[in-house]
Parts: sequence; structure tokens; C-alpha cells
Amino acid sequence: MGPDRRRASLRLFPTGARRVSRPRFNWQIGVTLTVLVIVSFLVLLPMVFLVGESLNTGDPMAFPPTEFGIENYIAMFDEDLHVLTNTVIIAVMATVMAILIGFTLAWILTRTNVPGRETLERLLELPYYMTPLVGALAWAVLASPKSGFFNQLWQALGGRGDLFNVYSMFGIAWIMALFEGTVAFVMISASMKSMDPALEESARVMGASKLRTALTVTLPLVMPGVLGATLFVFAEMLGSFAAALVIGIPARVYVITTAIWDSTLAYPPAYGRASAMGLALFGVMFGMLTFYRWVVNRGSFATITGKAFRPRPMDMGRLAWLLLGLCLLYILLAVVLPIAALVITSLERFATALLAQAQFTLANYHTAFSLGPVRTAMVNSLLLGFGVASVGVLVMALLVWTIYRSQLMGRGAIEYLAMFPQAVPRLVFGLALLWAWINMPIPIYGTLWLLALAYFTVMLPIGVRTLAGVVLQIDKSLEECARVCGAGWGYQLRTVTLPLLKPGVIAAWLLIFMACVRELGVSVFLMGPNAKVIAPSIVNAFATSGVELTAAMALIQTFTVIVALVILFRLTRGMTKEMT
Amino acid sequence: MKRIVTLGVTLAMLGWAGCPAAQAQARLCDKPRQMEGFKTCANVEKAEAEGAFVLYSTDPEQGQVKLLAAFNKLFPNIKTSYVRLQAGALYAKVLSERQAKSFLVDVIQISDMGMILDFQRRGGFRQYISPEMAAYKPEYKSQPEGFWTWGSIIMGGIAYNPNNVPAAEAPKKWEDLLDPKWTDAINVKVSNSGLQHGVWYMLKPILGDEYFKKFAAVKPKAFDSYVQQYGRLVDGQDKIIMGAQYSGYIEFKAKGAPLAFVFPETGVPAVSETYGIVADGPHPNAADLFMDWFLSPPGQKALSDALLLHSPRDDVPAPAGSVLLKDMKLLVPADWNAFEKDRPSFAKEWDRIVGARR
Amino acid sequence: MSSTRIDVKDLVIHYGDAVAVNGVSFTVGRGEHVTLLGPSGCGKTTTLRAIAGLEKPSGGSIHIDGQPIYDASARKNVPTEQRGVSMVFQSYAIWPHMTVFDNVAYGLRVRKQGKAEIAASVERALDLVQMRHLGDRSASKLSGGQQQRVALARAVAFSPTVVLFDEPLSNLDAKLRAEMRVELRELQRRLDITSVYVTHDQEEALAISDRVIVMNVGVIEQIGSPEAIYNSPRNRFVADFVGSANILKGRLAKAPAGSGAHMFEADGDVSLRVTAPHAVRGDETAVAVRTAYIDLEPRAGDNHVGGTVRQRMFHGDFVQYIVDCPCGNVIVRRPPTNLLDEGATVTLSFSPEHCVLLES
Repeated sequence: MGPDRRRASLRLFPTGARRVSRPRFNWQIGVTLTVLVIVSFLVLLPMVFLVGESLNTGDPMAFPPTEFGIENYIAMFDEDLHVLTNTVIIAVMATVMAILIGFTLAWILTRTNVPGRETLERLLELPYYMTPLVGALAWAVLASPKSGFFNQLWQALGGRGDLFNVYSMFGIAWIMALFEGTVAFVMISASMKSMDPALEESARVMGASKLRTALTVTLPLVMPGVLGATLFVFAEMLGSFAAALVIGIPARVYVITTAIWDSTLAYPPAYGRASAMGLALFGVMFGMLTFYRWVVNRGSFATITGKAFRPRPMDMGRLAWLLLGLCLLYILLAVVLPIAALVITSLERFATALLAQAQFTLANYHTAFSLGPVRTAMVNSLLLGFGVASVGVLVMALLVWTIYRSQLMGRGAIEYLAMFPQAVPRLVFGLALLWAWINMPIPIYGTLWLLALAYFTVMLPIGVRTLAGVVLQIDKSLEECARVCGAGWGYQLRTVTLPLLKPGVIAAWLLIFMACVRELGVSVFLMGPNAKVIAPSIVNAFATSGVELTAAMALIQTFTVIVALVILFRLTRGMTKEMT
Repeated sequence: MKRIVTLGVTLAMLGWAGCPAAQAQARLCDKPRQMEGFKTCANVEKAEAEGAFVLYSTDPEQGQVKLLAAFNKLFPNIKTSYVRLQAGALYAKVLSERQAKSFLVDVIQISDMGMILDFQRRGGFRQYISPEMAAYKPEYKSQPEGFWTWGSIIMGGIAYNPNNVPAAEAPKKWEDLLDPKWTDAINVKVSNSGLQHGVWYMLKPILGDEYFKKFAAVKPKAFDSYVQQYGRLVDGQDKIIMGAQYSGYIEFKAKGAPLAFVFPETGVPAVSETYGIVADGPHPNAADLFMDWFLSPPGQKALSDALLLHSPRDDVPAPAGSVLLKDMKLLVPADWNAFEKDRPSFAKEWDRIVGARR
Repeated sequence: MSSTRIDVKDLVIHYGDAVAVNGVSFTVGRGEHVTLLGPSGCGKTTTLRAIAGLEKPSGGSIHIDGQPIYDASARKNVPTEQRGVSMVFQSYAIWPHMTVFDNVAYGLRVRKQGKAEIAASVERALDLVQMRHLGDRSASKLSGGQQQRVALARAVAFSPTVVLFDEPLSNLDAKLRAEMRVELRELQRRLDITSVYVTHDQEEALAISDRVIVMNVGVIEQIGSPEAIYNSPRNRFVADFVGSANILKGRLAKAPAGSGAHMFEADGDVSLRVTAPHAVRGDETAVAVRTAYIDLEPRAGDNHVGGTVRQRMFHGDFVQYIVDCPCGNVIVRRPPTNLLDEGATVTLSFSPEHCVLLES
């Protein structure tokens, strides 16, 4: 009877917190309430503006709207139906490919004895440093009809016509899948790693062959993980922007994100239509992510025990080399070839049809560096990265502590709010912010401050998730003991909690920094003449300057980020070494 | 007739007079200051004290950079910055910023007169009479002057890459572009473009409504900038540009690209790139100074060097290697108000033709 | 000065809607070592944490040295850090980012003692647990046993008057646990600390406590010295939980057998003379006989019950027999000499003092 009672009572605390008697310090409540108000203001208010504008059927620029109606939503199905179908088709294609890539790689790396596993794992992180934007540019160079390197090679070998045409729905899906594949890989391999090898071993003992075990035991058990990854990837593909922008527009293939983008670029800007589409996209993404959360939490397959197992890798014999080849092929397609293509292009005078005709020059880099705006944009991006990451982790640490360690009422709401931006496609959120801040009495539109606010808001999920992972790992008794030893809330926070959070804080900082420097969806809407950032500048350059200059700029961005990260890793390795 | 003209003028004056907010009629200053090669009414010291200048323009970034660098060379204390967007997007941005009470830009250039007139009607321009405006013909500037002035004239013809298009098949007339063999091989500008609007507006009455319906059948692809358009000609992804911006041709040809340009006998549609000082801009004195310099021969020369554009001024030579304005058969819209009203239907039709959203 | 250090009265603690501690009252005297013993979920840890201020009770009061630190009626609840009680956690809660020295010195530093004093106190504390040589080591590099010692040193370093122990030995292996018990007892005696100790291990509780409080589902079943708890369990739960006992069912006979003993009619027509350490009501139905107190050879003055050996299990330190008797199966534990075979007949013998009448 006793144990049942305890289990029943523990279920009332879903976050795993035990009731800790803590007297109410008023200023503690004051601080957390302020944070709650600020976060809702940042996260929810733009969405409210967006909803309002989506119902605007009069002058799109009028605020507040003079006429209300649902015409915008109806028009979406009426006139833009092909946009919606394009979006779904491309998203489905991309998801299938990404999951295939991710699953194959995860399998090879976690379940087989492929040679060089540690190196491969490290290498498979590389595509993450290539943003989809840079990847799309590179593949435009690699596989565009007639002038793409692949097609030139094909023709040189005597083929006729084009082997590949990246300017197609499949091309867009391929690029998206190539770079989202690493995300799928990480998620699926995590679920594969958490499977108890004894389950497979008992099948083998009973006499099942490797293949039979794989199909009848392993596959069904990792299915929830794969399903979860599929949902997540699909949601991301729906909101993907960079590839559709670079490849889709020249190909006359519009998806919902580029349609939203396009609406705001015409005169008069169709903010109402854009808002309606944005909210529709948001609704679908939100639904998918909720479904994903439900699937993951319901995972009743008892394999996920929370312990990390070390599954015994299957001996693949000579096949192992083939598998190694597959992994290396992926790296080739996702990293090596794109970078090479960009390097070559950036050194060309004209990205001409025949390499033989190419004239090589460093002029593009010269131009790129001398273009004041490019320099300013890079500096701005780095500045924003530093600023938002530094301030952000402090605020997020406080948020995380409030959500997972305090007794504040409504802290569940804070958690929900902080993770909310994850469900909103970046572009849609950018639009919401644009519309909100155009019409708010504080004139920060077009300045770096608005970008900083916007970055902070969209980075909340990343930061909170990373820090939460660390906080939850800290045994509560470590903090309680400090209190028992006589330490007040502040002293305990300073001497016990924050030092223990350090590795998580560093990880969160790095993630946020990198995400800020690469940010595109929000930035395209909120830039101003003195508030340019690098990713939209690259997009702009693709549209208005030659692809050679764009390639140079893209490479400058990629390498600046890598250099910054390497420096940071060196610096922080010293810090984290103390902890172990 | 006379009565109509009088009526028209009166209405026009009423229209201008209806401009909201305090826009006292400006006049030319009494003693313009002589600078290097141009006269200015601006307070140069105040301009330098302001220390910055912001331009929004539809011209390609590299060109804007060169132009602004020339200005900065004369006035090193004035830091320049810019935003480049196609006409529709640019205008949308300017309007949005004003709605947000964010006044970030000093001077705008838009290649669509319709938008210029609309902005003037909203009281978006600040009237400033530059001593240099005297050199501009009345049809090249606002009435009364000082609100906006044409900075250059751009015209659109036909361009192709002779390496990919044999001389025998090369197009010579607008009608040649309807040939099905050019399917998927022609590119144009997006509906946001002022020049493209001009091409449509002027050619439709001449070539007939059917022309553009048939043109849709060759599935033209639309791009935001002539840089992209000419780039695709050079690398062979497209074969022909319809409504090719002549200045782009000059620019690429100077860089050594294999290109040919055709001035069809029917004529080449032409529009203006119009400049104006924005009301409530952050650096009003610098804006005045820039306008004076820009509209003067040295400024126009700098523009021509940077962007290979033709100046409306008679005393500024055409870009090197280009045909003179007077030797071209320019098709310019007579009634800019009608041109402005045509924009929404043009945008819708054009988007359909190029397979954009609608 | 009163000799009571801690006074817990009618403590009630809720866990959400469930009641974890339901009206618990006890006192702890100066220098006493009191153990809260019970199965998991009985509320012993909750009670302990309430004394530390880590749980908020819903009713009752807690006084330390006569001062109220929690009083529901007076709405008084002193925050944890001001209570001055020390605690050793089940997981040790050693801070991995500090050295051993810093861990132990924490409480002293909070109290803003001087550097020299701190060093001296820490040394003394580490000496007590034989960890002095590891003072500079990073705390993340300690074994389980070493962490436990450091936790102990930290708890006593600032000379608290009360130390609370939350199952401190449960994560150690059996051998280490036995050793640590001895050391713990030594330490407590030497420093004259008032301790409240929580454990589910009854052997441990009996070994080191001055008094044992047996708890079950939020209430106290029995309070007493280890011997008293062992020899005179009040009810079935205590008899079962502490030590190993046989519960024989039956009925109390009407007439007392004289000299404090009572007659009990067990099942199977077995008459027993039993002792009743508590007030007899007349409706008692069970007696408890410790397995260790049953002899295999009849002795004069004892209850005698005949039976057959059904099963014999050799446990090393003792051998356990299950004997088939008319009153049911009786478990007997004897030293492992003179082993009986299964199937052998035997007469079980146990004195009336060892045959305890249980409350109903």
C-alpha cells in the first residue's frame, strides 16, 4: 500500500520536482514575474498582430485594419492552391530522402562495425556548418542545366543534354534532404543507441539470422524514434526557406515560404495575404509538432529506459567497406563537392559554361571584402551573435531555473512560451515581428536592436532546451545541501548552481552564437540600411550580383563562422576541463 | 483645348496644393555656393556635421557603391550607406518604414514613375530646389520642381549571346521572340521592375494584346536584376533577354562578356530612374548636398561611370561605347498618371506570364 | 535546561492530495540517536526533511531547543538556511566542482568564519573520517565510500547540534555498510551529536540507535529502544518488519495463568503461555515468537510444541528450519551446529517471555 501511495503522489509532479519548502522571497517572485511578462510580450504579441493582419481585407498597409474578413484565407485556396500543393509535395519528397539518409547513416554508425567510426561521427557533424543557403548556392553551381559542373562533365564525357537539373521540385527537395539528413541522423541514432542489445541477442540465441533479427526485432523497436524523426523533419521541411528561395524562384516553383516572401516584396505589399499564409503554415507545423511530442512521450516501447546502452555492432565483413563508402559519399555530396564548387566559382571572372573558358581572378574576394555592406553585415552578424548569446544565456538560465527548480505558479506556462517559437516557421515569425514593430510606437524597426530582440526570441527554444538538459541532470540534493549548510538563495545560486551549469551554459552559448550568425528567415524582414546581416546579404547578392561574388561571400561567411567557433572551442576547453 | 489645359493645370495645382503637412513652397536660394564642378544651396558645414547619408535605390549594389564612393571622395566626412531592392519592394519598404515612424533614408531612387507620383501625393518628398535643376528639361522633373528629378534614362531592348545564338537565327524584331524555338530560353524582369512595366505599357498598344498572350507561351523566366539576367546569358542558361536593360549590356560588354544587343525598329521602351529627397529624413543637409552634386555634370558622370547609365542632361556624355540617346527611338509613356494606374493589372498579368504565384 | 532537543508534535505533511505524514509526534533528547525506521513510502524521509525545512508541513509543530522552527498555528516556518541543523543526504550531494576541502568548508564559509578557523575545523572534521590526506583532491574523483565520508565530515564541520541522516549508507555494499555503521556510532558518541536517522534497514536501525521509531503509512507504530522493539513488538507490522518472527493465530483464553502470563489458545489446539507487554483488551488474536528464540530441545518452564522438520536452509551464520506444527508452519533459526535432517521430528521450546501478545 505504501509504495502505491508514493507513486500516486509523484505523478502529480510531471517535471520530476519534489515539493521543496521554500519561503517566498518577494523579489524572487518579482524577477520571475517580470521575465514572464517580457517573454510573453516578445513571443505572443507578434503573433497577435499577425492574426489581426491576416483578417485584413482592406488596405494591406492600414493599421489597425479597416475591414475584416476571411477572404485572405479563402484566396489562399483559390489562387495559391498550386503553392500549397508544391509545398506538400516537396516536403514529402525531402522528408523521405532525409529519413532514408539519416536512417542509413544511423544504422551504419551505431549497429555495424564500419571502420573509423569515431572519425566518421566527427565528419558527420560537418554538414551542420553548411547552412542550407550555402548548400543551395553550391548545388545551383553544381547541377544547373548546361553550366553546372556535373552537366559539363557529362557533356565532356560525350553525354547529350543535361544529366541533372537542380531547378526543379526534386532539386529543391534534394538539397533540403541533404542538409536536414544530419538532423534525422542524430535523432534516429539517439533512439538506436537507447535500445538494449540484449533484445537482439536473445533473438540471435534463438537462432534468428542477422537479417531476420534486424527486420523482426530491431526495426520495430526503433520505429517510434524513426516516426518521431519523420514528423519533426516534415515540420521543418514545410517551413524551409533558403533552398526554395535560391532554387525555387528561378525554377518558377513557389512554396508557401517563398510565396509569403514574395507577397511582401510587391507594391502594394500584400501583408494580409502573407499573414494568412503564414498562419496557415504555422497551424500545420504546430499540429505536426504536437503530434510528434505525443508520439515521443507515449513511446511505450520499454527499450527507452533512459540508460545509454552500448549495442554490440554487427560484423559486416567485407560489406563494412561498402558502408564506409556510403558514409563518405554523403560527406562528399553534402560538404566536399559544394565547398569545392563554391571555391572554384568564387575564383572565376564569369561563371561560364565551360571551365575551359574560365578566367580565374581574385577580384571577387576583393570586391566582397571591399563592399562596405558586406563587411558591415559580417561584423553585425558577429556582433549580434556575441550579444544575443551572452545576454541570452543569462536570461535563459534564469528562465530554466524558474521552470524546473522553482515553485512559482504558472512556471509551466513559461516553459510553453519559451518553446513556442519552435512551432513558428522563422519566416512567419519574421513577418509577424515586422508587422508588429512597424505599428508599435517604439521606432526600433530597421535597427540592430530589433534584430537582437528577434534573434533572442527565436533562439529561446534552443537555449532553454540545452540548459534544461543540464539543469535536470543536477541532483536536487546538491542545492538542498547548500541550503542546509546555511546558504541563502543567492549564495547557493552563485556557489553551487551556476558553476554546475557551466558546461551547459557554454554549449548553449555556442549554439545560439552560431544560429545567430546564420539566421535568415527573420533577418530578411527586419534589416535596415544600417542593420544589415550576412545571410540576407548573400541572398541579395545572389539575386542582384553575379553568382561568382555570391560564392565568395558565402565562403567568407562559412569560414568566418568556423574560425570563430574554433577559437571559442579552444577557449572553452580550458573552462570545461576544470569540471571533469 | 485651352480651357482643358487650364482646367488640367488648375487641377494639377490643386493636386499639388493638396499635399498634407507643412510643405512651404521652397525656392532657389539666393547665393548658391560653388563647389568643385557644381553649385549647391545646401549648408555644407551642417551636412558634414551630420556625417552620414542613406540612399535607397534599385540599381545593383556594386554600382551604388561606386556612385556613393565618388560622393564620399569629395566629402570624406559623410559616411554613405544604401539599400538595394527592386522598385516594388523598395517602395513597399519605404512606406513600411514611414508607417513605423522609422525615418532611415535620405534620398530614394525608384525606376517606376507611378510609385514616384504616389509618393509625392502622400507628401513623402521634401521639396528642395537645386541650382542644378535648371539644366533639366521640364518633362524630366517635377512640376513645381524640387520634389523629384530624373537621374537617368534606362531603355530595354533585346539581348542575346552570339555564342549560343547563331547569327542567322538572331532576333531582330519584338515579334521574333514569339518563335516557339525560344521556349524556356528567354528571361525577363520580375513584375516589380519599373523598366519591365514600361516595356509592357509601351509595347502593348503597338504590338497588340495578343502579343503578350503569345509571349506567355514561350515560358519566360523572371529575375530581379539585370545582373542575373546577363549572367545567365553568359553561362548559357538562357539565350535571350526580352526588355534587356541597355546599361547592363554596356557594363557586361566592358567586362568582356560575349553579348549582342538589338534595337528593334519598333523602338525601345524607356523609363526613368527618378531621385527625390525624402521628407523627415535623418540627414537633411547631407541630402541636399548629395542632390546638388548628383544632378550636376560631375555627379552624372560618376553615375555614368558606375552604372553605365544615360544622363538626361545634354552636357553629360553617354557612357563609352554606347549609342547616344538621340540616336535611339525611345518609347516613353506620355501620361505617367495613366502609367501608374496600369500597374496593378500589369503586375497581375505579368506574374501569370512568368509563372509566379498567381 | 531541558534535555529535549527536538520536539515534533502532531506533524502532518501532504504530498499533493495524499497524506504522507499523518500526525506524527516524538521527541529527541540531547545526544540521543533516534532512528525513523519503516518501509519506503511510510513517511520517514518526509518527516526528516520537514525537520530540515525542505518539506512544508500542513499542520503540527517542530521545536528545536524549545524554539519553534515550524508552527502551523503560529504560521511560523523558519527557512532551511536559518535552522542550523545539518544533514547527510542519501546521494551524499558532494559538489563535484569543488575540492574535498571546499566541500567540507562550505558551511563554515557561509557562517563567515576566519580562514585559520576554517582550516582547523576542516582538518578536524576530515580527521574524524580519516580523509585528511585527500583534502586537496577534486570531489568528482572520489569513490562512493569516500564521498560518504566527506559528506559526513561536511555535516559535522561546523559543529551543529543536530545532524539529520537520510539513509546515508544505503548506497554502499554490505561489507562497507557494516563498517560504516560502527564508525558512525563512534562519531556520534564522540561528538555528542543529537541525531535523527532514517533507514529502511532494520538491522542497521537496531544496531546504532538509542531509540527506534517504527513508521508505517505516515503514522508511528511503535517507539522504543532496540531491545524493546525487538523483544516486545506491539503489533503484527512491527513484529514482521523488525527481525524475523512467527505469527501464531488464535484466541486469548479467559483466565490468566498467573504471574503476569496469559493463556493463548493457538490454532491446532496448542496452548501457549504468553506475555503481554501492553494493556490487554481481550480480543487479541495473534502472538509473535522470534525465530531466534525457539530452541530445538525442550526446556523446563517453556512452551513446548511438537512438529516435523519440513525444510532446512543453510544460511552460513545460521540455519533456518521450517517446522510443520499443529499451529501452522513455524520458522526456526539456530546456530549452524547439530543440523537436523528434513523429516525429523522435533519439539520446539520457547519461553513465555518470548511469546508476545500482539495488539489487535
